Amino acid sequence: MKLRASALLTALLAGSLALTACGGGRGATETETTSSGASQSASQDAGGSEGFAADATIGVALPWLGTQNWMEAQTLFEQQLTEAGFKPLIQAADNKVPQQQQQIEAMIEQGAKVIVVGPIDGTQLGSVLGSAKDAGVTVIGYDRLIQNTDAVSGIVQFGSIRTGELQGQALLDGLAAEKGEPPYNIELFGGGPADPNAPDFFKGAMNVLQPKIDDGTLVVKSGQMDFTQAATQDWDNARAQARMDTLMSNYSGDEIDGVLSPNDGIARAIITSVKQAGQASVPVLTGLDAENESIVWIAKGDQYSTVGKPTELLVGKTVEIIKSLQAGQGMPEPDATANNGTIDVGLYQLDPVVITKANAKEVLANDAARLKLFEDNLS
Amino acid sequence: MRTLKQILGGNLQQYTMVLALIALIAVFHFTTDGRMLTPSNLQNLIAGNAYVLVLAIGMVMVIVVGHIDLSVGSVAGFVGMATAISASQYNFPWWAALLVGLLIGIIVGCWHGFWLAKMGIPGFITTLAGMMIFRGLVIWVSQSISKPVPSEFQIFGAGYLPEWGPAFTGMNNSTLLLGILALAWFVYAEVHRRQAALKRGVQSPLWVMLVRLGLMAIVIGTVTWLFGSGRPGTSFPIPGVILVVLVIIYHVITQRTRFGRHIYAVGGNRAAAALSGVNTNKIYFLVMANMSFLAAIAGILFVGRATAAGPSDGTMWELDAIAAVFIGGAAVSGGIGTVVGSMIGGLVMAVLNNGLMLMGVGADQTQVIKGLVLLAAVAFDVRNKNAGRPSLIGNLLRRKDATAPGKAEPEAALKA
Repeated sequence: MKLRASALLTALLAGSLALTACGGGRGATETETTSSGASQSASQDAGGSEGFAADATIGVALPWLGTQNWMEAQTLFEQQLTEAGFKPLIQAADNKVPQQQQQIEAMIEQGAKVIVVGPIDGTQLGSVLGSAKDAGVTVIGYDRLIQNTDAVSGIVQFGSIRTGELQGQALLDGLAAEKGEPPYNIELFGGGPADPNAPDFFKGAMNVLQPKIDDGTLVVKSGQMDFTQAATQDWDNARAQARMDTLMSNYSGDEIDGVLSPNDGIARAIITSVKQAGQASVPVLTGLDAENESIVWIAKGDQYSTVGKPTELLVGKTVEIIKSLQAGQGMPEPDATANNGTIDVGLYQLDPVVITKANAKEVLANDAARLKLFEDNLS
Repeated sequence: MRTLKQILGGNLQQYTMVLALIALIAVFHFTTDGRMLTPSNLQNLIAGNAYVLVLAIGMVMVIVVGHIDLSVGSVAGFVGMATAISASQYNFPWWAALLVGLLIGIIVGCWHGFWLAKMGIPGFITTLAGMMIFRGLVIWVSQSISKPVPSEFQIFGAGYLPEWGPAFTGMNNSTLLLGILALAWFVYAEVHRRQAALKRGVQSPLWVMLVRLGLMAIVIGTVTWLFGSGRPGTSFPIPGVILVVLVIIYHVITQRTRFGRHIYAVGGNRAAAALSGVNTNKIYFLVMANMSFLAAIAGILFVGRATAAGPSDGTMWELDAIAAVFIGGAAVSGGIGTVVGSMIGGLVMAVLNNGLMLMGVGADQTQVIKGLVLLAAVAFDVRNKNAGRPSLIGNLLRRKDATAPGKAEPEAALKA
């Protein structure tokens, strides 16, 4: 009996779903006006006519706090937004996409006017950011591209191709300075494929390295030169270390001179692996993020270079845009645009800096904590 | 107290978690200045957690038969990726991609069922292997790059029911209709239950039924209003509708069919079940096959909401589902646990997560709190079982009842 009743209920549910075709009801006209109204106000925000309260809530959704740059971003956003008079609401998602989706929704609930999103996976926030847009919230991408949605107003980031080019150049310079005459044996590592910046870093680096590979100056013994082969799932240091352990089997009786590493954590994992394999000389390494530990390693001469993307600049630029939105001046003129699969998004790009043992003192002059770390460990 | 017990149906144990859930919602509602019980937040809560709850439906059945499935996250991720790839790379129409996904779910389930039921490999091992195999396959077939899904999938993951009919109701009429249907069904079931009781000569006063129906009307009415009165164009979310349909189907299967009774029999005492003629291997096979089928649905709901399938989709989902099942009162040793209980358990976790986010608590602390809640819920359960008591609240009531004995037993028997 119960069985039949619930079958009936299921059938009725299906029937009510089938009513999709019929219009009318509360929505029809209202829905259209509100949705067009919302998109209108969004475009007005972008065009810059109305601002919002000077003490408005600003949401910041970060992917996780597992690396130093995100930890710094959290602290800096808290400071700079508070100083600017806003009410910051900062959450990190532990690298879990569903968690981040729910956090962004919670920020919309809490009445955030602008939400800054450092996505875990830039493609997986479509419907959530859509509802942010419907609620009249301006979405700014932070550090990583946000794809397949029309709900993002701009992306603040360091030029990722440029970052890759700097890494490639640093590797070449380091090899010339430390490893004598060519040819040099090198291996290539890429970042986490889910991060849309990772292929760009690799592409930028290969722009510099490919000609040298072609003319025989550089030799990639393993032959693994595609991004998919070189990629490190989730930017996981342990995976990179395991891959390097395997690659070292190509170098019995020979030395590896340099490795392209997409970030500092992976760079240190690679150095550890090479040392464990028993090679006496340290290969030339690149890196990214100028993590404290890598500053120490550079000072000690273990890691050749890193690329600093001063989080201060990135956060500063983002807060500047938020202030412009607050004052009703809309999004500033972007430096470039990129197609995110749905629309052309404005990019606000900043230039990163290469840090080596030779120039660290100048580059870190404004960063007291890192400078001290560098000098304390100088050998 | 006895009155309360009569109204709630005699066995308060099953309500412990419901009461905890209600208390949780109330506490969060006040600490977040009323942001908890708003239409948009509740819609988000359901749409954002439907995938875990769908997994928990299958997981409770697996746990009841005395196994565990560690592969569901990987399987859900694999199915999501397979549907995305078949649509974006092989240009399948969306419905064909959907069918491909569900079919893969069933095939994967049969694969697990085969190793568990036919080869006798413990479920823990079979599905641990499955967890690795399908996680590897996701990364392999996707080349670790996220793939977009057709926009039709958004309907399943984040869609709303249509608006239609008169506007004077001031809410989404689809949601209103669902509310009315739910209430009608409760009225029908309640009247039917009372008649059956009277026929058997059990005392069942009319006022008890009326109060129960009144309470139910208030609850269903409030929920309907909360979901239906959001921004025009929103309603009770479609992933929620899919979830409710699945819960009804699986509740009926587990509680009212022979197959359902066999699941509990095998989980309670495999040897005894086998001796009384239950084909235990068949039960194992079907339960595992069903689990992966539901994992496929969960994966599709998720990619619909995310608008793309990613290489790390589904990581740790199995543990969220398992936590929901145990908070919902299932026993680690098997044989005990219900679909509805697991839904309550899943909602407790979801509400905790949501409420802490609304309060602005970080993911790190949220994780700690959720861990403690899981531990507390299971410890509470285990302690009570060891002491032979139903629960703290049930225990309090029982002691009071001792002064007026006699009523509890026949009612409990009637429940069962």
